[in-house]
Amino acid sequence: MLTHSRTRGFARQVGTIAVTLVGLLILTFVIGRLMPADPVRAIVGEEATQDTYMQVYQELGLDRPLPVQFLMYLRDVVTGDFGTSIRTGQPVIHDIAAVMPATLELATLAILIGATLGITMGVIAAVKKDRWPDQLIRVISLAGHSMPIFWTGMIALLIFYAWLGWVGGGGRIDDYFIGLVPEVTHFILIDAALAGEWEVFWSALNHMILPASLLGYSSSAYITRMTRSFMLDQINQEYVTTARVKGLSVRQTIWRHAFLNIRVQLVTIVALAYGALLEGAVLIETVFSWPGFGQYLTSNLMIGDMNAVMTCVLLVGVIFIALNLLSDVLYRVFDPRTR
Amino acid sequence: MTYQARLRLTVAALALAATPVLADTPDNQLVVGFSMTNILTLDPAAITGKETVQVLANVYDGLVQLDPVNRSEVQPDLAERWDVAEDGMSITFHLREAEFASGNPVRAEDVVWSFKRLLTLNLAQASFLKTYGFSAEGADAAFAAPDERTVVVTLPQKVNPQLIIATLGIVGPGSVLDSVEVMEHEENGDLGAAWLAQQSAGSAAFVLQQWQSNNLVLLAENENFWGEKPAMRRIVWRHIPESQSQRLQLERHDLDIAFQLAPADLTALQTAEGVKIQTTPSAGFYYLAMSMADERFQDAKVREAMRYLIDYKGLNEAILPFYGTEHQRPISGGFFGLLEDPGYAFDPEKAKALLAEAGYPDGMDVTLRALSDDPFLNLATAMQATLAQGGVRAEVITGSGDQIYGAMRERKFEMLVGRGGGGQLPDPDSNMRALIYNPDNSAEARLTNFQGWRTSFYDEELNRLIDAAASEVDVEARRQMYADIQNRIDEVVPPILPFSEVVTSAGYRDDLEGFVVNPSWSTDLSTVSKNR
Repeated sequence: MLTHSRTRGFARQVGTIAVTLVGLLILTFVIGRLMPADPVRAIVGEEATQDTYMQVYQELGLDRPLPVQFLMYLRDVVTGDFGTSIRTGQPVIHDIAAVMPATLELATLAILIGATLGITMGVIAAVKKDRWPDQLIRVISLAGHSMPIFWTGMIALLIFYAWLGWVGGGGRIDDYFIGLVPEVTHFILIDAALAGEWEVFWSALNHMILPASLLGYSSSAYITRMTRSFMLDQINQEYVTTARVKGLSVRQTIWRHAFLNIRVQLVTIVALAYGALLEGAVLIETVFSWPGFGQYLTSNLMIGDMNAVMTCVLLVGVIFIALNLLSDVLYRVFDPRTR
Repeated sequence: MTYQARLRLTVAALALAATPVLADTPDNQLVVGFSMTNILTLDPAAITGKETVQVLANVYDGLVQLDPVNRSEVQPDLAERWDVAEDGMSITFHLREAEFASGNPVRAEDVVWSFKRLLTLNLAQASFLKTYGFSAEGADAAFAAPDERTVVVTLPQKVNPQLIIATLGIVGPGSVLDSVEVMEHEENGDLGAAWLAQQSAGSAAFVLQQWQSNNLVLLAENENFWGEKPAMRRIVWRHIPESQSQRLQLERHDLDIAFQLAPADLTALQTAEGVKIQTTPSAGFYYLAMSMADERFQDAKVREAMRYLIDYKGLNEAILPFYGTEHQRPISGGFFGLLEDPGYAFDPEKAKALLAEAGYPDGMDVTLRALSDDPFLNLATAMQATLAQGGVRAEVITGSGDQIYGAMRERKFEMLVGRGGGGQLPDPDSNMRALIYNPDNSAEARLTNFQGWRTSFYDEELNRLIDAAASEVDVEARRQMYADIQNRIDEVVPPILPFSEVVTSAGYRDDLEGFVVNPSWSTDLSTVSKNR
């Protein structure tokens, strides 16, 4: 009986995911078609004659009715064919496989920085509620949240790259090193380490640290606020008072008891923040000339390269659903009551 | 260690760390910053826009090349010399001995094949040749290779042969491909288009090593290059969409050349140490356009009134530095036959009088379209103010390229601030065809590549003069024809009023030598060296 209901639950979940994804695709397709972007014009240019325009229009299949175009797209997707990008002339999957590692690498470093900073500040703010550390942290995280990231990006580049020369400028790596390391995983840090090219490794890290810190800082704002409020809930509970009465130090009470109880909620928060970073730190990628997913998605959106855009949106959907599932699983691991 | 000693050490360490370490670009590599947003392919037959031309000019040779300084001249490239037949209906090119990067010899057959391929694919670059009557069907008759080193181009219609020679100097329509190499990679009869989007098959100083969309283009030295060995072994083209990032990297010497700097950054760089700026006229104009599909603008007096509501000086001095320079004739600077500017000036009283004469004593309400990017939005806002002084109340509509130029192509606009007007082909005919010429004004003709058609402007006499000037061989007679054309334009006031000529500005390190920006975008980087 139990197994049966579990199977039904699982089936329902898969069904929901499929419906969500198809809905997402329909929405993207419609928005893409309503958008004033003309892929044919992007291909043929301003000066092309009408016969050239029509030739490409037909080659792209844009002369067919919209529902037919959509159904054909869906049919191809189901068979694993995500189409070819107008921008690169390559299969979209191939393109995404090339740009995603750049974003993954950056986002992972960023979330490590953001979570460490955010959780630490959040806990301190809760413990020192309404005292100066709390106020200071509030200002720091508010600033991180409210300053436009392209602006912070430019200022940080000006200070740390142009004036101080501590970090590398735009791009993933110094120009001398381009093409030196064979691209195995497309993760430049990993590829450099595999090849034993440590100079390349440091150059890549040097280029990555500034954008990752900025992204980390900006996502830490949200993590800090949430950690603080979760923590305050715990601190006001009786078990904390009991622990203190029993003679545990503040540090032990906070980290060994209260903190363990907010892990579950934190996982969700951090997973969502990570998802948001993967979806594309478009502005930071532009400022730092970072050849990642965000830039790929937006530049293709601008020219109406719908195969690329739809696949990207689908991927973002899948990433969010996966992160949600992951945090569900982690809930079960961390919270025995949910088992 | 005493406290003081420790403090001193810390301060010293901090000071050391704070001293910027200037990392020069490598001596034998050129690092160029530009925007790759418009690069969709590197197939010379399919490219559009300036950026691809900048790259491919260093990968593909043509029979001839456009002179970067004297815009009316062409220089030999793969063709050592050429002769024009007495009747002016054919041109014979004599090829030099050269090899493609693959090691295959450059044969006349490759040249002919490249032109036929261009016309068969019928993509963006084909329009340059189609303008002068070339077509896929007529290609066999138009291009012939009587022997390995001779190419004969037979003109399908009477055109001044110099025009065709110059057209073949443009990167794209004139690029010569290694037919053997390309056909080895043909798929489903695509004439190698899919392969060429990512690879190269040329004979110029560099060969395409790698293209990563919106990231970088790597060019490596072509070991088989027939000309003088370039000083640079590699050119790294980096996609840096942000102008300020380009500026910082140029200042820090992480870039040698920055091609896409915004005027604010160019202004700041003028005083920067170690950086130079080169500004050259480029293709096209900034203009105010009106649609003659709107009956108000069918009256020449109304169009003339608009001529006096443009603040030529103000726009060029306040908004357009590094974008354009004041220019009122629809023929590019330095081109054959260009007359002096007529000297129109902002004169709202004169405009009002003209509008009153045309039956609009209370002025009129119009919409004024402009791209939402720089400098168009600023131009439109400034123009709105000057139009208002003449009683023309303009509502500014902004949008993306497809919204603004799209509306123009559909003839659904009233007024528009735009940019365009030919000039990549260094001959006044190119400007005339882009801006004025319109052989068929019917809606069905859909000649959207002619701005004359887009603005519904049709003047039989101008069409006739433009065609006649294009085919005239006698230099003085041709010069007189362009003078007549410009005078007639003064008189009939076509609905496109240029007020500035587009310029290209590049910032570069002062240790570069031999760097000359080509007005037709095809800047040759094989001549660049570093003096360190």
